[in-house]
Amino acid sequence: MSSTPSSHVAGARLGSALVQWFVGWWQIVHLGALVLVLALSPSSYDRATRATLAREVYQATAPVLLWFLVLSSLISLVIIRIVVVTALSYGLSRYSLQMVVRVLVLELIPLTAALFVALRVAIPNAAEIAAMRVSSQFDALVKQGVDPLRREVLPRMMAGMFSVLMLVAVSCVVSLVLAYLTVHGFTTAAIASYTRAVGHVFSPAVVLIFALKTFFFSLAVALIPIATVAYEPRAAWLRTSAELQGLVRLFSVILLIEMASLVGNYY
Amino acid sequence: MDDAPVPPPRDDKNVEFKAVLLLILLAVLVAASAVYVMYARGAFEETQQLVLQADDSEGVFVGMDMTFSGFPIGRVRRIELAEGGGVRFLIDVPEKDAPLLTTSSVFTLTRGLVGGSNLRAFTGVPTDPPLPDGAERKVLIGDATAEIPRLVADARELMKNLTTLTGENSALATSLANLQATTDQLKGPRGALGVLMGDEANSKKLISALDRTNALLAKVDGIAAKADAQVFGKAGVMPEARAAVEQLNAALNEARTSLKKVDGILTDAQAVANNAKVATNDLGTLRAEIDTSLRKVEGMIDQLNRRWPFSRQPEIKLP
Repeated sequence: MSSTPSSHVAGARLGSALVQWFVGWWQIVHLGALVLVLALSPSSYDRATRATLAREVYQATAPVLLWFLVLSSLISLVIIRIVVVTALSYGLSRYSLQMVVRVLVLELIPLTAALFVALRVAIPNAAEIAAMRVSSQFDALVKQGVDPLRREVLPRMMAGMFSVLMLVAVSCVVSLVLAYLTVHGFTTAAIASYTRAVGHVFSPAVVLIFALKTFFFSLAVALIPIATVAYEPRAAWLRTSAELQGLVRLFSVILLIEMASLVGNYY
Repeated sequence: MDDAPVPPPRDDKNVEFKAVLLLILLAVLVAASAVYVMYARGAFEETQQLVLQADDSEGVFVGMDMTFSGFPIGRVRRIELAEGGGVRFLIDVPEKDAPLLTTSSVFTLTRGLVGGSNLRAFTGVPTDPPLPDGAERKVLIGDATAEIPRLVADARELMKNLTTLTGENSALATSLANLQATTDQLKGPRGALGVLMGDEANSKKLISALDRTNALLAKVDGIAAKADAQVFGKAGVMPEARAAVEQLNAALNEARTSLKKVDGILTDAQAVANNAKVATNDLGTLRAEIDTSLRKVEGMIDQLNRRWPFSRQPEIKLP
């Protein structure tokens, strides 16, 4: 007899959790759509926003760029070496270059860049936004007649996206050069054959999937941590760690995107 | 808390400039990568088309290279079903590589055990006219993996034969057992004779036959000695024969002398014949002289008849 009320309570809890889950994801999608619309409308870029945008873009990219470049170069060198030596020992060296390009440029570097930017840029940005909300700066901006979404959230999200794209572009180019140098050494004689091998990997479908994947990675990295703290009730944010929740959501989304890209590339 | 100041902008100009630099860098990187990938996929090459016909397109994919001496000189652009059920590979050959292919070029599709298939071109006679744009050629298919099932079947059959050959009741095993029994016998007291003859009685017979043969040989030896004495001894056949030969020799010498004499006689006879020939010539002269004399006599009688008219009878009676 006593199980009925408790099961009701459990059902109600489950229902509310499900609703919260849906609401949370809906808020992320909603904010994403809003910010994208704002990003695509020229009226968003008034002088003050442009200044903030420039500052945020610079701060989100320049300090991490060098470190990420060093880190990704080291990892690339190790992986290129392992792949090339293993392929050579199996007598498959003609396939090693394609494998290097596929493993590094198509799969590892975008994923690493997204995670790196998430930890170094997006989470601190989200914390900043949360701090602004807590310290009622948003309210102050609203009182001044300024849209905080446009003034503070949009530049940070754009900066996060830009950072991911920048890191991916730079380190892909660097690892392509490193792969060439590791396989062929310091010579220009093999550029034609290397170009041909790269051309084999980058078929139009692969390029499209690579571009979409990188774009969605950058969008997820820039959007999810900020969206998680932007809509949480202030009290809830104080009580629980919204940052952690944002991180979990971000990782699951990145995982989904990566899986989708793998399915697209290899099935 | 409510009037917390907005963070003051720090050296805005500089940051904006740097941000623009970063944007430009990203744009340049992306554009350069895009151009590079397009170049790598042959988007900026002038190409001519080559159509290869095959029975099936297994292992061939769009974007695959066609190689010439190991160098890629073309890409598969499309694969399509032909009307007769075959396959057509449409291949883009860059115009700078096109002269390598001539009308006598051969195209092969080989499938290795590891890795993908290979489309290869071979040009036997480089001086032939170059392949025209849109030419259609048959592709020869060499399949390493197709040989494997046959090879495995052959190997299995071989193993089966080998197993039968080396089995417990096989001919080889029986032969080996027999050989072992034989070698055992060889090692035994009767040795090889026992092996050959089977039982002891036979081998004894053989031994006695050998003994008798030995005795026979001794007798033959004696006979041979006697024959030697008769033939080659002092009163033997040989000295007599030699004397007979000497006599024959002497007779031959005599015959030779006689022949020489006959030769001389023949020479004389020849001389006689010559004389007779000369005599015959003389006879001719004589006859001419007689003829002349007779004519003179005739002339004389004619004159006599004229001088003696009483005699009308012009008849002369020769003595």
